[in-house]
Amino acid sequence: MSRDKVSCDHLVAALSANLCAVPRHGPARRLVIGLVIGGAVTLAALALGLGIRRDLADAMQSSGFWMKALYAATLAMFACAATLRLARPDCGRMRGLWAMAVPIALLALAALLELARTPGSQWLTMWLGHSWKVCAANVFLLALPILAGLLWALRRLAPTRLRLAGATAGLAAGAWAACLYCLHCSETSALFVLTWYSLGIVLVAGLGALLGPRVLRW
Amino acid sequence: MRTGESELRDWMILALNGDAKAYARLLEALVPRLRAFFRRRMAGQDDDIEDLLQETLIALHTRRMTYDPTRSFTGWLYAIARYKMIDHFRRRGRTVPIEGLEDSFSIDSFEDEVGAGLDTDALLATIPDKQARAIRATRIDGLSTAEAARREGMGESDVKVSTHRGLKALAARVREAMK
Repeated sequence: MSRDKVSCDHLVAALSANLCAVPRHGPARRLVIGLVIGGAVTLAALALGLGIRRDLADAMQSSGFWMKALYAATLAMFACAATLRLARPDCGRMRGLWAMAVPIALLALAALLELARTPGSQWLTMWLGHSWKVCAANVFLLALPILAGLLWALRRLAPTRLRLAGATAGLAAGAWAACLYCLHCSETSALFVLTWYSLGIVLVAGLGALLGPRVLRW
Repeated sequence: MRTGESELRDWMILALNGDAKAYARLLEALVPRLRAFFRRRMAGQDDDIEDLLQETLIALHTRRMTYDPTRSFTGWLYAIARYKMIDHFRRRGRTVPIEGLEDSFSIDSFEDEVGAGLDTDALLATIPDKQARAIRATRIDGLSTAEAARREGMGESDVKVSTHRGLKALAARVREAMK
């Protein structure tokens, strides 16, 4: 018992001896660093590998472009907020996760309106677009650097719900990757985005949930 | 005197700004609290508790940036302690069956078996000899009724009836003993 007391005193002395101040909002900073580094890699891969669409300036005038970008960006921000919260040990109940249903519901509404305006014979073409086979895969691959950055950041933080933290990090990575993918992709249908973008994002979230308990233990 | 949430929190905030003295005071105040926390949940595992205590102190040190000064300090502290304890159980749950394999196969089960044998002998001594022999033959040595009848020189129906009556008597003994 006394030996334990001594080693505990030693530990307390050692820990407090070389104390340095920690920056305010440390977890947010760290997650942003991971996000920015991962995002830069993704952007470079997108520009060099897939290429940025030539008519980007024109496309940015259209509502279809912003619908895609806003859908992905809001989802990404909600997922980032959830990840930031899960980075703390006392994250409590995660009721806020339901907020992510809002952008999804809005896009689903847009898809319904779109279906109502289009003759049934064109629904399939609209749904599959010209790139449905590669869209989800592209989003998934582009998300990997961002996911790596976020997991790197989380490893030094203190998540206690590892699977959920991994999943929200994956969701954030997928959604940011989808947001950047808008710079390449020329699809305009809400139904297309709702299906194939979301599929890619969900796959990354699944990967995050799988990796979380292995990678984030501390 | 026991320090409360607000004092611990003040020390923690000073520590986050680099005040080593406040930090040392904080850690010293946390040691008994954490020890009590683990003792309540892991009675009789003193060695594990000391390891866990030190691990928790190190974890809260390296991850102190995750404390949000606008929130409860003890909530944050015990969330870390709880996580470390669960992680400890998980790790031990995974390793002990392998580390302790020989023990759990030999010593424990040997002792249990000897103990069970002694208990059985003592119990069987309390019922009539014929019933005890019938039970031993059919239930412990695993003979069939016919084999038991031949070995013990009894009729087959006698074996059945004796076993039945003996077991009933034993059950009554055990029930009495449990009261």
